[in-house]
Amino acid sequence: MKVKNFLTDVGGASRVTKARLKAFHSASPALTDVDPIGNVSREWHPGPIELVVTKITPACKTAKTIRFERTDGKKLPFFYAGQYIVLDFRIGKSLISRPYSISSAPYQARAEKPFVEITVRKSKGDGFICDYVNDELKVGDILTGTMGLGQFYYEPLRDAKHVVALAGGVGITPFASMAKEVVNGTLDIDLTILYGSASSDDIVMKEELDALEGACDKLHIVHVLSGDEPGWTGEKGFLTAELIRKYSAEDTTYFICGPQVMYTFLRKEVAKLDVPARRVRFEVFGQAKDIAMYEGFPTELRHESFTITVVRGISEVEIPAKATESIVVALERAGIRIETGCRSGECGFCRTKVISGDYFVCPEGDGRRAADKEFNYVHACAAYPLSDMKIKIPIM
Amino acid sequence: MKFYKDHYDVIVIGGALAGLSSALMLADKGLDVLVLERHNLPGGIATSFVRGGIEIEAALHEMMSIGPGDNRLKVGKFFDDMGLDIEWLQVPECYHASLPGLEVTLHPGLETFSREIDEQVPGTYDKVLKLLKLCDTVFNSVNELSIHPMSKPQMLMKHEAFVKTAGYSTKEVLDTFDLPQKALDLLAPYWIYVGSGFSDLPFTIYSVLMADYVGYGSMIPRKLSHEMSLKMAERAEELGVQIEYRQHVDKILVKNGRAYGVRTARGDEIYSDYVISAAYPNKVYTSMIEPLSEVPEEATKMVNGRRLSLTAFSVILILDKPAEELNIKDYSIFRGDTMDTDALYENLAGLGPYRYLTCICHNYGNPGVTPEGTCSFSVTVLPRVDGWKTVKAEDYDRVKHEVAKQLIDDMSEYFGVNLLDHVLECVIETPMTIAHYTGAWNGCIYGYAHTMEDHIVARLQTAEEEKFIDRLEFAGAHAISGDGMGPAVTNGRKAAKNVLDDIAARKEADR
Repeated sequence: MKVKNFLTDVGGASRVTKARLKAFHSASPALTDVDPIGNVSREWHPGPIELVVTKITPACKTAKTIRFERTDGKKLPFFYAGQYIVLDFRIGKSLISRPYSISSAPYQARAEKPFVEITVRKSKGDGFICDYVNDELKVGDILTGTMGLGQFYYEPLRDAKHVVALAGGVGITPFASMAKEVVNGTLDIDLTILYGSASSDDIVMKEELDALEGACDKLHIVHVLSGDEPGWTGEKGFLTAELIRKYSAEDTTYFICGPQVMYTFLRKEVAKLDVPARRVRFEVFGQAKDIAMYEGFPTELRHESFTITVVRGISEVEIPAKATESIVVALERAGIRIETGCRSGECGFCRTKVISGDYFVCPEGDGRRAADKEFNYVHACAAYPLSDMKIKIPIM
Repeated sequence: MKFYKDHYDVIVIGGALAGLSSALMLADKGLDVLVLERHNLPGGIATSFVRGGIEIEAALHEMMSIGPGDNRLKVGKFFDDMGLDIEWLQVPECYHASLPGLEVTLHPGLETFSREIDEQVPGTYDKVLKLLKLCDTVFNSVNELSIHPMSKPQMLMKHEAFVKTAGYSTKEVLDTFDLPQKALDLLAPYWIYVGSGFSDLPFTIYSVLMADYVGYGSMIPRKLSHEMSLKMAERAEELGVQIEYRQHVDKILVKNGRAYGVRTARGDEIYSDYVISAAYPNKVYTSMIEPLSEVPEEATKMVNGRRLSLTAFSVILILDKPAEELNIKDYSIFRGDTMDTDALYENLAGLGPYRYLTCICHNYGNPGVTPEGTCSFSVTVLPRVDGWKTVKAEDYDRVKHEVAKQLIDDMSEYFGVNLLDHVLECVIETPMTIAHYTGAWNGCIYGYAHTMEDHIVARLQTAEEEKFIDRLEFAGAHAISGDGMGPAVTNGRKAAKNVLDDIAARKEADR
């Protein structure tokens, strides 16, 4: 067929149809097609996996490190140092999830005897799950966990090679993971950790950290004690701009993880450093301690309770809810499973449709999409009922 | 607790654009529809995500087939007819072409586009316009024939240009216009949106591509593609569709050659008269049909005989300066060291360095999409699945960063600004990311390659014979119209139409 005659050729459709059928005709009849790209995605993100507690060690007087392995003995998923794991707990009739920064290193999850660790401090009476982990969890217990979550990790295309980590209390955990990865030679950064604690007894993972510091000249750990302590020769006071500057290089990325009070303080101190916004990265800080303190929350409702009608598929149930507890907490108390990630309003795992009713969204870390706001979707971990409500959540 | 009805008219696997289009059309006709979506929001890759407080578009560069409010094209019209109120923003240009010896921005409108090419390559206006008008004629025929099939003699009478070009590749037809190389280069950049080199790309597909994008320009939703996806989902629910998120469908239940329901990973068995699958035939015929003995040999042969097309790799940056201060001047830039599409297609089979980059700066189409003093800039390559199939899990992070760095470095060099000095947020999307969120087979977003051996005209001709399982339809990039968010909607509507036609035929037979 001469191409230049194409405008007189009316047989094209039949020709291409024959070509297509011929290609199918000569193809193999075997069921052999594979999905290696999908398989890699599943190796990185397998979803919930079954974990067993294999070791519990004290990390200081008030904290413990819990080691988990997979019940099937396989390697754990890949993750970046600084990311968290979500663990699911069944306590009484409640189904509760919690995110914990992983304190072990990514290379350990892929080692000959693979494991993942979290380090959890006992609360001062307000941390139901922290206390459960410290007091009740024992070797041999089985939980499900989803790991490799969160955005708090070193990204070479974004961050400076010189990293200063500002840690407070148990907020050291993501940096412990980074430190181990640096020492292992698998995270190529210069890492200085400024670690604020009230007293030397409060320093979480002190021995472990000190051993790491000696092992590699790319890692520096500087303890900073806020309380007076006889014999302490290290840094004292808070993580002030002056102290931070002392350990900074010309181009430094700051990673910050600690309790909410520390964030309030550090936002001011970091502002004094006069570094570009892209050089400062805060970890999300978890559930608001007291939502009624936020501007816009109708404080007259703070002691109110409401009923939430929960729609899943064609079924509906009613559950009680308090104005000052997030919708996620109400669901968990009622034993209704909902997937959660960061529990800070950011990640959107708990995206929920509000069919009717009023609610308040925690203004800090509101990660909702614009169109979701328009159609009354909330991230249920950061949304609080202000009336009776009707919501729709995924069937779990 | 009972989450599902005892029976649905239709179960749709996948709540992205194709599946939601099916659901909308079926519910509009009064059918009882269940949509099962694996992610916790609708849209598949037509979605957005939030990083550092900034909402970022996940995939949409420009939406074709919408058309302005007073002259809607087929997808825009469908959305209007379904009662969707999407705020569309016109993309200001077709593209800026950065090619050997050429730096030019071209704008929509067949005459405008031809004139702008003529300014670069004098004396080509008439020929280019003639080509574009031929494309437009073929495009109109495709649109009409996809709704009103007709006999061959009728087609030849009414759709002569369509019939007479159907047997030829893009290269073969372009060659007859005898255009200088530079003019040909300026007519080629959109090739990546259909993903085959011109010697293998049916001219029919090139026609649709050019007539639609060049003739009418393209659109984006103000609240990113999540606005489109969510409005489709919300409207579908208003029409009575049950949409359940976070539901992985593991199996399609088949008995005596007929689909009758699905089983989810949660273990729910749900029954229906019809199943529409957005999951690839590759996945359906190799692992989802239960029992697998119901899969006829022809079905696996078809899967094995077709070539998967392109996947996507994007590095999306939020930069801490306004675009103009970084020398970024256009919404859309196509940059290549050649416009030889066959050579570029070969290059896409590997893992880089990639030679043809597609860049979007959303701020130029959607002012205010990022906070004051910042901009969004993405660089995308659309590689073939072949290279990425060889990447092992333990090498994935390294490869991903190497490729991302190449893309950023290339564009930094072009702008004369090191973009890496301005990164507020950096998101890398890979074929694996797509596979993770959507379950697309090998992360392939383009379905099967448009080739002379898998020609859209042939696909239409043999569609009936390729129904291997009764009452099972496919909707997605792997269906007849192929890749793209506009065609996804068309594919979804086609699957719904097949269901409606089948119901009507059965009713007729019962009479």
